[in-house]
Amino acid sequence: MNASAGMRQRIRELVEGARASIEANRRRIDDLNVYPVPDGDTGTNLTLTVRAIDEALQQDGPDDRAGLAKEVSRAALMGARGNSGVILSQIVRGATESLAESDDLARAFRSASDAAYRAVKRPVEGTMLTAIRSMADAAEHGADLAGIIARGEDTVAQTRDMLPVLKEAGVVDAGAAGLVEIVRGIHAAISGEALAPPPEHEEAFGIEAIHQELSRYRYCTVFVVEGESLDADELEGELERLGDSLLVVGDRSALKVHVHTDDPGRALSLGIARGAIGGVEIANMHAQTQQREERLLHAVPADREACAVVAVSSGVGNRTLFESFGGVVVDGGRTMNPSTADLVAAIDGAPAEEVIVLPNNGNVILAAEQAAANAAKVARVVPTRSLQAGLAALVAFDSSRRAEDNVAAMQEASDGVATGAVTIASRDVQLNGVAVRKGKWLGLADGEPVAGGETFDEVAQAVLERLLREPRSVLTLLTGESPPVLDGLLSRIQSEHPDLELDVHQGGQPHYPLLLAAE
Amino acid sequence: MKLTADNTAVVLDSTADFPDAQTRFSNFRIVPLYVRFGDESFKDYVEITPDRFYERLQTDSELPTTSQPTPGDFLATFEELAPRYERILSLQISSTLSGTFASAQAAAELLGGDAVRVIDSRTVSASLGMLGIGVQRRLERGTTDEEIDAYVARYQRDHQLLFTVNTLEYLARGGRIGRAAAFAGNLLNVKPILTIRDGEVIPLKRVRGNAKAFAEFRALFESTSADSPNLKVGIAHAAAPERLAALRELVEHVRPRAEIEIATPLGPVVGTHAGPGTVGFFWYEDA
Repeated sequence: MNASAGMRQRIRELVEGARASIEANRRRIDDLNVYPVPDGDTGTNLTLTVRAIDEALQQDGPDDRAGLAKEVSRAALMGARGNSGVILSQIVRGATESLAESDDLARAFRSASDAAYRAVKRPVEGTMLTAIRSMADAAEHGADLAGIIARGEDTVAQTRDMLPVLKEAGVVDAGAAGLVEIVRGIHAAISGEALAPPPEHEEAFGIEAIHQELSRYRYCTVFVVEGESLDADELEGELERLGDSLLVVGDRSALKVHVHTDDPGRALSLGIARGAIGGVEIANMHAQTQQREERLLHAVPADREACAVVAVSSGVGNRTLFESFGGVVVDGGRTMNPSTADLVAAIDGAPAEEVIVLPNNGNVILAAEQAAANAAKVARVVPTRSLQAGLAALVAFDSSRRAEDNVAAMQEASDGVATGAVTIASRDVQLNGVAVRKGKWLGLADGEPVAGGETFDEVAQAVLERLLREPRSVLTLLTGESPPVLDGLLSRIQSEHPDLELDVHQGGQPHYPLLLAAE
Repeated sequence: MKLTADNTAVVLDSTADFPDAQTRFSNFRIVPLYVRFGDESFKDYVEITPDRFYERLQTDSELPTTSQPTPGDFLATFEELAPRYERILSLQISSTLSGTFASAQAAAELLGGDAVRVIDSRTVSASLGMLGIGVQRRLERGTTDEEIDAYVARYQRDHQLLFTVNTLEYLARGGRIGRAAAFAGNLLNVKPILTIRDGEVIPLKRVRGNAKAFAEFRALFESTSADSPNLKVGIAHAAAPERLAALRELVEHVRPRAEIEIATPLGPVVGTHAGPGTVGFFWYEDA
C-alpha cells in the first residue's frame, strides 16, 4: 500500500483488493449458493456490488475520511445486487459509519454486524449475518485482521451445520464464504501479501466439460438416417429449431446428424420421419451441471419422496422413458416376464417407503401382485396391461403422495389411453372372418387383432383409425428394436389429424415394431 | 388518514408485468429488476423488451440470470414521489421468489419517516399487477391503510392462479421450482399444471399435451369461479401468443361476464424463470 498517496487512493487499493479476491472466488461461490434461493448467483452479486464501489472510487471525489465513508456507503447501496449484495451494502454502511469517526477495528466490525442484523426482517443464522457477527466478536477480543479472518473461516465451516438446507446440500453458506473472501482481499491489500489462490474448484473432465461449455442444451444427440432422396438442408432446417451445434452430413441415401438439444426424442423422430435410423448416441452433456441441479433439487424440503414406482419394461428407449419419471425399471426381457423375486427385490430396493408396481403386461399382473404381497414395503399394483398404459399411469404419478393416494389417479390415467400395436403374425390368425397368415403384418387394438395385411402402412393406419374413433389429443409412438419406416404413417397423421400432438420415441421393444397410445 | 389516488402513490416492481401502469395511472411507478446475459445487464422492460428478450433466449449460448433492484433504485423512486405524495404503497413480488422486497425495505428505511409501506404480495406477474389495480380502485373511491391491508389479505387468500410451462428446467435452474421439482425431468411431452401458494410453486397435476392442460385449466376455472362482472381475470404468456388467445377464448366462453383486466406477455425477468411457452391466468372477485 502506498502510504504517501491520498486517502482516496489508499481506500481504492483496499477495495481493489476486495474486488480481486471476490472475483477470483466468484464461480466457486455461485456454485455454493443454495440459500435463500438456490439460483447460483451469490458470487456474481457480491462481485458486482464490490465492483460498483470500486468504479465509484475511480471517479474524482472527496479525499477526506467522512466524505469517503459516505461515498463508499452510497456506492455499495446503489450498486447492491441480489440479496447478498443488499446485506453486504448494509455491512459496508455500518463499517463506514464507524470508520468515518475512528480507526477502531472492533468498533467498525460491530457497527457492520449491527447494521446487517437491523436490515433483515427475520435474521437467519448460518448466513452472512453469522459470519459478520463472529468476526465482530473476534475483533472485540483483540484479534487482528488475520485473526478476524481466521474466525470468519471457522464460522463459514460451521454454517454447514447451522442451516438444514446447507447440511442437506453438503455446502457452506455462499454469502458467508463470500464475505470472508472480501475481508481477506482487504487484508491482502493492507499487508501487501499476495492472495492465496482460491480453493481448487471441482473442475471438470476433459472433452465432456468443453462440450458442455459450448451448449446450453442438455443432450448431445447423434444418429444416422438411411433412406431415399434425403435432403440434408431440409433436415437441418427442421433440426435447427431444436438446438444448436448442428451438423448434418452425408448423401441422399444416408445422413449423419449431430445436434445439441433438450429434446432428443423429437430430433430422433425427425429422423424416423425420413427413413430408418441407427447409430443412435445420446449423451448427457450436463453431467456437472446436473450434479449441481440435483444438489439444488435436494435442497428443497425433502418431504416429497413418499412413494416410488417399479415398472416392468423392455427396450432401452422405454427404460429411459420410465426412468425419466423416476421409475425403477425391472427388465422384462424378450418375453416381458420377470420373476416374482426380481420384483420383490426392486420394490424393496426402491428409494421410498411405499411403492406402486406397474406390470405393463397382462401376464405379469399376477406376479406383480404376489411380489407386492411379499415385499417388506407397502406396495400397490396398478394392473397395467401394456407399456403404453404404464407410461400413461406414470404421468399421473406424484411421488409426494402415498401409494394409496396414487392408485386411483394412475388407474384412471391408464384407463383413459387407447393402446395399439403393430407386429408380425407368429401364427395364422383368424379375425373378423379374415385370415392373417403367419409372417404377415398384424395390427392389435387394446390387445385384440383388428387388421392384417401385406404392408406395414396399411395395418398401422387401420390400427390408428381404431384408436382415434373417440376424440384424442395426444398420440405416442414407440418404435421397436427393428423400427419400421414411419414416413407414410406420419404424413397421413399430419394431413388427416393436424391437431393431434405427436410424440415419437425410439422404444426398442422386441416383437413389436410399433406400439401406439392415444389419449 | 384518508388515502386517495391524489395523495397515495403505488410502486410496483417490473415482475408485475404491467409496463403501461404509469400510463394508465399517473400515481403508479415501476421499479425494474435486472436481467443478465453473461456480463450484459439490462433493466427489465426499460432496456430490453419482452420480444427482444425471447429472441435472445433463442440465440444466446448462455442462459440469462436475474437480480433484484438495488435499494438505490427504490430509493430514487421513493425520493421522487415523497414530495408529492403522503403515502407510498410499494407492492412487491413474493419474498419467497425474490429479494426485491428486501431492497424496497432497505430503501424505505433509508428514506426514513413512515410514508412508505412495503407490502409482500406473495404473488407475481399479472397477479401482482391486478393486486395493484385493486388497490387503485380503492384509492379512487377513497380508502384507509386498514382497508388496504384487509384487501391485500383477502386477495392473497382468495385469488386463484394456474399456469403451465413447456419444461420445468427454467424454474429448476433459477431455483424457483419448490415442490414442483418432483415433476421435473421426464422425456414425454408432459404439461405440469402449477399454481403458487404462499409464494411457492406447487404442482397440482401433470397431463400429456396442451389440449389436456387446457381441459384442466377449464375444469379448475369452472369449479372455482362464478360468472359475474366482478370476476376479474389476468392472462400472461411467454412467447406463446396463440396460447394467450386460446386462454382468452376459454375465459370468454366459460365466464362471459368476467372482466379481463390484464392480458400481457411475461417480461424478461419472469420469463427467465418460467421459460418460453409458459401460459397462465389469475382470477378473483372484486367490486
